[in-house]
Amino acid sequence: MAVCTGCSLLCEDIELALMTGAISKVKNLCRKGHGHFQSFSSDRTSPKIDSQEVSLDQAIKKAAKILVEAKHPLLYGWSNSTLEAQRIGIDLAKKLGATIDDTSSFCQGLLMELVLAGRLPTCTLDDVRNFADTSVFWGADPSNSHPRHLSRFAYYPRGSKRQKSYEEERTCIVVDVRKSATAKLCSNYFKVPPGGDADFIASVIAVIEGKIPKFGDKKRMIELGTVLRKTEYGVIFPGVGLVYSLQGKIELLETLVSKLNEVTVIKVVPMVGHYNNMRGFNQLLLDDTGFINGVSFKDGQAKHGPENSVIAAAKSCDAALVIGSDPLSSLPFGTAKSLANAPLIAIDPRRSLTTDAARVVIPSAMYGLEAGGSAIRMDGVRVEFEPILEADLLSDEQILARIMEEI
Amino acid sequence: MEALVTIVTFGDIFQCEAEKKGRYSEDYKKFSAQIILDKQDMAGLGVKEGQNVLVKNHVGSIVVVAKASEDDPHPGLAIMVNSPWSNQLVRDDVCETSIPGFKRISAQVSPSVEDVTQISELFERMKAKGD
Amino acid sequence: MVGAMEIYKLLPTDACKECGYTSCMALAVALLNREKRLDDCPALLNPKYADRFKKLKELLAPLENASETGLIIHPEKCFGCGNCVVACPVNVAAEPTRCGIGLGPQGEKVILAVEDGVVKCMNVNECRRFGPNKILCNACTATCPSKAIEFV
Repeated sequence: MAVCTGCSLLCEDIELALMTGAISKVKNLCRKGHGHFQSFSSDRTSPKIDSQEVSLDQAIKKAAKILVEAKHPLLYGWSNSTLEAQRIGIDLAKKLGATIDDTSSFCQGLLMELVLAGRLPTCTLDDVRNFADTSVFWGADPSNSHPRHLSRFAYYPRGSKRQKSYEEERTCIVVDVRKSATAKLCSNYFKVPPGGDADFIASVIAVIEGKIPKFGDKKRMIELGTVLRKTEYGVIFPGVGLVYSLQGKIELLETLVSKLNEVTVIKVVPMVGHYNNMRGFNQLLLDDTGFINGVSFKDGQAKHGPENSVIAAAKSCDAALVIGSDPLSSLPFGTAKSLANAPLIAIDPRRSLTTDAARVVIPSAMYGLEAGGSAIRMDGVRVEFEPILEADLLSDEQILARIMEEI
Repeated sequence: MEALVTIVTFGDIFQCEAEKKGRYSEDYKKFSAQIILDKQDMAGLGVKEGQNVLVKNHVGSIVVVAKASEDDPHPGLAIMVNSPWSNQLVRDDVCETSIPGFKRISAQVSPSVEDVTQISELFERMKAKGD
Repeated sequence: MVGAMEIYKLLPTDACKECGYTSCMALAVALLNREKRLDDCPALLNPKYADRFKKLKELLAPLENASETGLIIHPEKCFGCGNCVVACPVNVAAEPTRCGIGLGPQGEKVILAVEDGVVKCMNVNECRRFGPNKILCNACTATCPSKAIEFV
């Protein structure tokens, strides 16, 4: 059995047959997870300095030198690393007086803050399967981003209190700007224009309070109010779509959830994207510093602010370590350009735009396949895994430990 | 002929799979360098399915393949996946919440006879010094 | 999926009854149900209908791959999401502690399972759409996000 690290569902029922250097007849991996598993055999990185092949030792030493000599180093990535590696990363940031940030600062950070602080009630995905009679995907399309979400937890499986499942006992609601694949499968779809979620929230609050909603199809909104009031255990899964739409006004969601909890039980589980251990990093950094991301240790103590998010810090840093992430592909052009022109150190198992632009490339093992460790699923459940392939590669954890030694 | 659209970025499983194959793969380009347009919007622009279009705003510009949406009509709304192509159009100014405008990109779309922008070109733009 | 009317329009439509049916429409339906094959229509084998024969063959080709129950899988469309695996009542009855609760099956008695990222079909004779007591179960097709699984 293996664990899939393709997304933050961290599915643990993966069966496969191993032949020399190949994985075949893999069972239960979705298309995304399958792509992830197959990727170990192509486009692997090798140690490089300024595009020249070097020994691993030389690459690590050079990386350490660049970081030590920098006045404003940035350590970014983390969301695809094990908890063990993230822990060392935070210590490294402290030792260097660096800024450390992960992908949550431009992704689910605002939402995650509320969940981890206990301001939004939450539950596990197993609770969803066992108890939820209403699942709401808001600005999220799990069919594409977390393909097994509906079949493992939110809609189709049976659960201890939901033996009749989607046929009789579960409702799936989708709120989105377009009729996504998930919207086509769900029982109730609500189309909201881009940026219109604040109005939608106001309408839901109105119907819960027995008032006429100002926005949206009045009849449908009133029906939604009825569905929500009849719900015994509802779970909202906000995706990046909702977080971005509310742009800083995330407390509107808090207000809605609070209002809903006056009439029924409503929980929130953040739809952490394809970063399989983003929640792990947020939790570790929170426990250590009181902040989930964007922390600078420059003056010896942890400071948090938008200037420490990767979008801003990419411009102000004079060196950057990027681990398990490809910001040159996934971040806005301006940020990508700033990072491409800074002295960049990339720790990655596979080639990407970021590794191509890096001054130092350090190859790492793919965790879940070639290295073990632990990670936190999107709902806060800790998952442990062992390697299933042998590889002559250091894990993130080992690489960071070596860099620490050199500093 | 030009049309102003709001681009919303979405996840797509086939593009995610292609990303796992590698950012430089043909499949990744195929699934990323495209823009899904409302059928009426396309007709208005005189653009056919599979034709190349120039998508530009004050941040940057790209040439990608136009695809007709199979969803219910959504005039004025266009869909792209998050990729180095779409990111050429995304602002990087940081507001308080430091969230870039991935989900509401304003851009002009027009038919183009140019080839689809290669990922190597996007990379060169990033490496170029100065503004 | 192709419909009976489309098939009918390509047949000779002279109701010669050589195939055993009284009308060409009846043959069209039988072709879709795979109770008859294209060469059961002698009139169609006339060279003047060569183009129509070719077109009919193309239209009916997907049915070649359909199982006895009429189930076709298009693996290139499949997300590997497992919705069909978990919704299939036969799967759930066979593995209540696996498919029933969202996990992949472990035994061999299931109809649908995900292998190498896409769904595979096996033991189709266990499907409720098959056999003397067949019912119109559509759990797998109704739960598919991408129309990767269909009935002819």
